[in-house]
Amino acid sequence: MSVLRSSECVFCHFSRSSRPAAVARRQFHSSPVHQKRKPRFPSVKSSSNDLNITQAAKEFPTSKNGQIPQHYSAEQRAAIEAAQKLIDLEKLEKQTGLRTDPWKMKYYDDLTKIDPVVDKPVRAPWTNIDDKSRLKTEDELEDDLIKFMQEIPAPKHENDFDPTLWDKFDKNLRLTVGREEAERAPRTALAPDLPNISETPRPKKTTKGDEVVVEEPPSPALVRLMQMTGYDRRQISRLRVKTVIMHQVVNQTRLGKISKTYVLSVAGNQNGLIGIGEGKAAEVTEALIQSQYRAIRNMTPILRYEDRTIFGDVSGKVSATELELYSRPPGFGLRCQKYIWEICQCAGIKDLAAKVTRARNPMNTVKAAVEALLSQKNPEDIARARGKKLVDVRKVYYAGQT
Amino acid sequence: MSLVHLANTCSHLQNASRARLGLTSIPDTKFHLKLMLAMQNSGFISTVVRGGPTPPPTHGLLSHPTSSDPAAPIEPVTRHNISTRRLWLGLKYWNSTPVLEKLSLVSKPTRRIWMDVTGLKKLVLGQDAGYVKGLRKPGECIYVSTDRGILEARECVEQKVGGMLICRVG
Repeated sequence: MSVLRSSECVFCHFSRSSRPAAVARRQFHSSPVHQKRKPRFPSVKSSSNDLNITQAAKEFPTSKNGQIPQHYSAEQRAAIEAAQKLIDLEKLEKQTGLRTDPWKMKYYDDLTKIDPVVDKPVRAPWTNIDDKSRLKTEDELEDDLIKFMQEIPAPKHENDFDPTLWDKFDKNLRLTVGREEAERAPRTALAPDLPNISETPRPKKTTKGDEVVVEEPPSPALVRLMQMTGYDRRQISRLRVKTVIMHQVVNQTRLGKISKTYVLSVAGNQNGLIGIGEGKAAEVTEALIQSQYRAIRNMTPILRYEDRTIFGDVSGKVSATELELYSRPPGFGLRCQKYIWEICQCAGIKDLAAKVTRARNPMNTVKAAVEALLSQKNPEDIARARGKKLVDVRKVYYAGQT
Repeated sequence: MSLVHLANTCSHLQNASRARLGLTSIPDTKFHLKLMLAMQNSGFISTVVRGGPTPPPTHGLLSHPTSSDPAAPIEPVTRHNISTRRLWLGLKYWNSTPVLEKLSLVSKPTRRIWMDVTGLKKLVLGQDAGYVKGLRKPGECIYVSTDRGILEARECVEQKVGGMLICRVG
């Protein structure tokens, strides 16, 4: 090992992350978690068996022995007969009885039944495709028709014919032989076994007392946001989302000026999550929605001391904008400019002072403030890194209650 | 007690930390050695070993050189080898960030700052004292050169001694 190599801390692997756990996210791969495995041993073929069942079946007297039920086929009965001859009953009883040896299992389970908790669940088949299905022959169709005709009750007078009977027959008539689902709900090449998401959902109607509340279906953008964040509609509506900057921006092309709206939004759950999002579109509403959804998507946890202020002083810099955020005692309030105030409101910070020391560009101020909030270091991590013991004197003084 | 050399050392250590080096060397002086031992006491650096121009061999079990390794005894300083002696420092990292992130002088070669206990107490409480900013970042330290050796500002307040502020480490 070269001494100049960068050193890696072994203990880092054991340390739990100082940040709170991230919110549940979508799965980033489409492959199933458990791959279907091949059996470790090939199944034993009947050809390898010494017993020739077909031969035995021929020798087996068809209904001589009354003990074997008649619904078995000749081969099965032969196999049973052969097994009865081979197996010593006394030995079998000894072997299959409850074990008494010291290595016996300490539980008694009925392994013939499927336990819904322990065992692999039995699921419905993945597809309803049937390889053996085929079209009915003309004779079979003819048989169906004859069967239908025979089932029609005898007419009482000349015009006594119920047309619904024919409709029912026409509807239920199957054109293929095999599994019914294979014909009724066949696989299509367009969307094999996937839910049809292109179908626009209908507005959901719920009755609240006497009035009927019509809930609009979520827009595709909102659906994507819900999929990305794992939040449902109600949780998203509970977040605090504020648009802090909105202005026109112009791109000069050889065809003329192309004007668009730029929007910067801040989102947070007022409990330690904060995110900012930028949106730009020709339409104001579109840019607004874009920026707000991006802000929700970008939400990340920040550290807060006693859920009210920050850990020590932090600084952030974006471009020419430099700012400093200062932690303050309880009841101090938010003494800072409006952009930082809005971020603190969304994040749930109650006591803070701030100073923007250089340029005060609104967009860069918002970005620098978020950067500063994210750059906080957890004192516990610092103590652990230096191998020191850390005690929060405030907490000790107030007997663990702040 | 050259603050010019210390300024260079501070910059060098900051650069070495940012480059994620495991071991680096600084010129061997009594002042540097005392400061580095104080910093090691605070947990900023893992090892301080006096060696020559090449890094001392690593310890058999540890991944870095140690001063108490019987297999690699430290060469005594003589007037023949004194110019080539260097202090080899093991740098620390945690959660893939350096433990020693920022290192800057408080006293400058052209203006040294001395402070008494009352001033140091203010600094430790996070208040500004004179032109010196208080320790308001979590885990920040100021080292003070006193007549009891180089101490951290909090130790100075504890022992009620003042002295010259050397550098601020965070």
